[in-house]
Amino acid sequence: MSHIVATDGLTKRYGKRAVVQNLDLRVPTGCVYGFLGPNGSGKSTTMKMLLSLVQPSSGEVRVMGRPMNRATRRRLLADIGSLIESPPGYAHLTGRENMRLVQRTLGLPEGQVEHAVRTVRMHQQLDKRVRDYSLGMKQRLGIAMALARRPRLLILDEPTNGLDPAGIEEIRELLRRLADAGVTVMVSSHLLGEIDRTATMLGILSGGRLIFQGTRAELLAASTPDVLIDGSEPERANALLQAETGSRLDGASVRVPGLDDKATARAVALLVGAGIGVHGVRRDEQSLEDVFMDLTGGGGL
Amino acid sequence: MSAHAVANEFAKMRRLRNGLIAAAMVAAVAGLSLLATVTSPAFAAPGGRVWAVPLAAMSFAVPLASPPLLAVLASRQVDIEHQGGGWLLNQTSGIAPGGLCRAKFAALGLIVAAATVLESGLVLGAGLLLGIAAPVPAGLWLGFTGCVLVANLVLLAVHLLLAALIDNQLVGLGVGLLGTVVAVFAAGLPPALTHTTPWGYYALAAAAGYQGERLVAFTPAYPSTAALGVLAAVSFVLITALFDRRES
Repeated sequence: MSHIVATDGLTKRYGKRAVVQNLDLRVPTGCVYGFLGPNGSGKSTTMKMLLSLVQPSSGEVRVMGRPMNRATRRRLLADIGSLIESPPGYAHLTGRENMRLVQRTLGLPEGQVEHAVRTVRMHQQLDKRVRDYSLGMKQRLGIAMALARRPRLLILDEPTNGLDPAGIEEIRELLRRLADAGVTVMVSSHLLGEIDRTATMLGILSGGRLIFQGTRAELLAASTPDVLIDGSEPERANALLQAETGSRLDGASVRVPGLDDKATARAVALLVGAGIGVHGVRRDEQSLEDVFMDLTGGGGL
Repeated sequence: MSAHAVANEFAKMRRLRNGLIAAAMVAAVAGLSLLATVTSPAFAAPGGRVWAVPLAAMSFAVPLASPPLLAVLASRQVDIEHQGGGWLLNQTSGIAPGGLCRAKFAALGLIVAAATVLESGLVLGAGLLLGIAAPVPAGLWLGFTGCVLVANLVLLAVHLLLAALIDNQLVGLGVGLLGTVVAVFAAGLPPALTHTTPWGYYALAAAAGYQGERLVAFTPAYPSTAALGVLAAVSFVLITALFDRRES
């Protein structure tokens, strides 16, 4: 599988504080890569390093097979569209005037700019001043600016921030269309629900570290659901297991987190040995959100 | 710095009223100069219709009107980048922050240069209309205009950098107003002190002035002004090169 973005040991420190640590990202070409993590987990810093707007303290970034650094950035950026932090746009100018600035800077043909505007469905609002745009319209104009260069890679930092549900769905639908058109999209969010149905690959960042990278199915498989034990004396059973496993009472059941199959068998043997009748043992159903919460310590979602 | 970047700066000026601000600078300098000329006792005295009177008037009007209006011009042109996410937008399009500042200087510099030449020409024209029959001291007039232009461009650069560093237009305007006070009183300061701030160079550019009630012709401080221009140009290039390496 070819990777349009690959980082090795990517690290960024500010003084002694490491914001991003040893990141080995692999973004497959042609996918929608959901880059998830709680606020402050280092997503924006990572994206800025991918664009060489922030220089890594150590490690390497390769984009489209070439190293990304100050020397190469100008050439590589010609193929990368991006929307970092708040959506750009000069408020005193109209959408059309803003697009013309981008067109002139990048030396783009008129038709290409027009196509980008139509892709985000902004062609009917182009003659309004940006100061009169809603947040959703500003986001779409920002994406049109990023798309105008016909990028092979699109990097979007929290593009759904502050949008209403209709706006979020509109962005999701746009990302799907872009992926269908062959653009690799890397999109960050602190809300799993916003992008998990759009993303074909997920990377989860927590405390500056990449704690998961893979498909949705791999993410679910990587988790260990809680074990629920039903028995004759739930309170005594919980007292027996609590110190070693961190179990807790959940109604008439004892909920035990993080047990693999062998540890589950040992727990059941311990209870039976203590004379507690065990009526049932089952694994709790886990949603993707539960897994994400577990991995990030509840900071996201 | 590319021609596209400079062209974009002109395009961004739309609705910013920069032309109006530059026109206000021209009108203020020309108007104050004319007023100071016609109300000057020296001008009313027999044989007083000499070019030194409008030159002295302009040497008084320029430091009074230029600094705050240059501050407004620069801060408006930079503030749009802070408000519109323009620094990042341009950076991801290949124009680093320092390059953007240089493009802004080139675009605004052309406007300021045109305004400076125009205000000087208007005062010259007014002198002719007021009946000054003596031959125009072309060299002195050009030299004075050139020195004012250097001081104006240096201050424009200072305000552009200040506005790029501090995301608050009031700071730039405050410094511009403070600069006006320094510029106006610089004529009375010892020359060593006058050289220490860019606003002091308006006083060093003066081609005529009053000592008590006596009208005196001066020679503008050409070497000092040239040195300021070179130092400022080198500093501007170095500082904007540092901006290019600044992380977002």
